[in-house]
Amino acid sequence: MSEGVPLPYPARDRDTTPFWEAQDRHELCFQRCAQCGHVRYPVGPLCPECRSFDFEWSQSSGKGVIYSYTVVRHQTHPAFPAPYTVLLVELEEGPRLIAQLRAPEGAAFGVGTRVSIAWEDHPKQALPVFAIDGAAP
Amino acid sequence: MSIRNRAAIAGVGQTEFSKDSGRSTLRMALEAILEALDDAGLRPEDVDSIVKMSANDDIYEIDLLRNLNLRNLRYFNEVPHGGGAACGTIASAVAAVTSGMADVVVTFRSLNERSERRFGETTVGGGVGHWRQYYFPHGLVTPAQWVAIHGQRYLHAYGATTEDLGRVSVLLRKHAATNPHAMMYARPITLEDHQNSRWIAEPLRLLDCCLDTDGACAVIVTSAEKAKTLKGVPAYITAATQGTGSRAEMMTSYQRADLGRLEESEAAARELWRVAEMRPEDMDVIQIYDPFTPMVLLQLEAYGFAKPGGAPALFRDGSLELGGRWPMNTHGGHLGDGYLHGFSHIVEGVRQLRGTAVNQVINPKTCLVTSGVGVPTSAIVLSKEAS
Ligand SMILES: [Zn+2]
Repeated sequence: MSEGVPLPYPARDRDTTPFWEAQDRHELCFQRCAQCGHVRYPVGPLCPECRSFDFEWSQSSGKGVIYSYTVVRHQTHPAFPAPYTVLLVELEEGPRLIAQLRAPEGAAFGVGTRVSIAWEDHPKQALPVFAIDGAAP
Repeated sequence: MSIRNRAAIAGVGQTEFSKDSGRSTLRMALEAILEALDDAGLRPEDVDSIVKMSANDDIYEIDLLRNLNLRNLRYFNEVPHGGGAACGTIASAVAAVTSGMADVVVTFRSLNERSERRFGETTVGGGVGHWRQYYFPHGLVTPAQWVAIHGQRYLHAYGATTEDLGRVSVLLRKHAATNPHAMMYARPITLEDHQNSRWIAEPLRLLDCCLDTDGACAVIVTSAEKAKTLKGVPAYITAATQGTGSRAEMMTSYQRADLGRLEESEAAARELWRVAEMRPEDMDVIQIYDPFTPMVLLQLEAYGFAKPGGAPALFRDGSLELGGRWPMNTHGGHLGDGYLHGFSHIVEGVRQLRGTAVNQVINPKTCLVTSGVGVPTSAIVLSKEAS
């Protein structure tokens, strides 16, 4: 992250505020349907599987595998100096999460690599990142 | 009642494409619309409907109405979701014309995307809402970056390589090289040029990305009955549809079962082939929306020109060349001609059926045109004859 240039931050609304508040506590929480148990993401009022409004927030293990990724090499935003790697991680609970990779230069990774969550604090919003399992971050 | 061949494109118009038009998008829209009306043999007074794309556009139908000195528009609306809307405006025009709600519909796209406002440019500062709140804070902020996630998954799923992406770019630039209208006229590239171009967001290189473009296109839709009586040679609209997929977002939709497929395009394809009473094999020429090279491969598979993972082979065996089975993006598309959010593909489709294209295919009778992908999309089938 670049010093001084603020990251784009989520504009919390009445649905998503608990999701982002949990992240400020370094917890990745998803909505679990109280009726059918389906874990849904992105945040929404209704269970798309059974159409129940009832849910509870449940904490993710933060463990998953890389489903896809991109190494951004052309900088387009002052808060994100290139290069940086953005992962789409398929978590154990099912949802896929976008977050950056934190790994030593030249670390081997690809689709299918196992990763675990870590947290970084920013002025407006703490955000998850991922580290490769078994590698020093 | 089916819409099949009951409406037609009666006229098309287009400005030059450039890096700096030197004039307003409103002026260019009017130039393209007047050219399209003249092409059809219609006057501005005949227009009673305008359907436009909503994204990244500040021209309202009333702006056109004032300048053209029109009075009553019986039918007007706008279609959302960026480039996904291009053929959607035609679908809406068909609905209006075949139901009797409109007689002559103007659709258009006008952009100063290079010299004024770039599509997908990210704003700095402030909070981000909707689905983008899940991506922007992590540095995933542009269409190229969103599509790169799909592209990487496609390469992984089918063992494809960035050379397979490069062959898409090489073909488009080949067609643009012989099209004097194209921004990349007389500038063909080799696969080596593609591989040597700089990375944007892996697996996308610079030469996998469309061209920021200034320019305008306009298309006139009317009933097939009326079109037959006009000066312009009609291109009959054999089918027109919009389409969506599960867990839809704008270009992300990352919760879908399989990111190596395009659900919207598959949905549009099913409806299109059903209404047209045709199959991919029946197409003589195809104009495929090409914002980034992976999206061309994914669409060729979604519309049934290849099995999943089979699209790269079409670029190796010549199927999509001018003399091939399905000549594709004969004007050079968004990577060669210019990026008009899918509208130039409609114009080119009409010209091919009329026999007036620069890179003319021999006597085509049918043409598929698709619109923006990874977003709620749309597509049409055009025919030379209303049989
Ligand atoms: Zn449920």
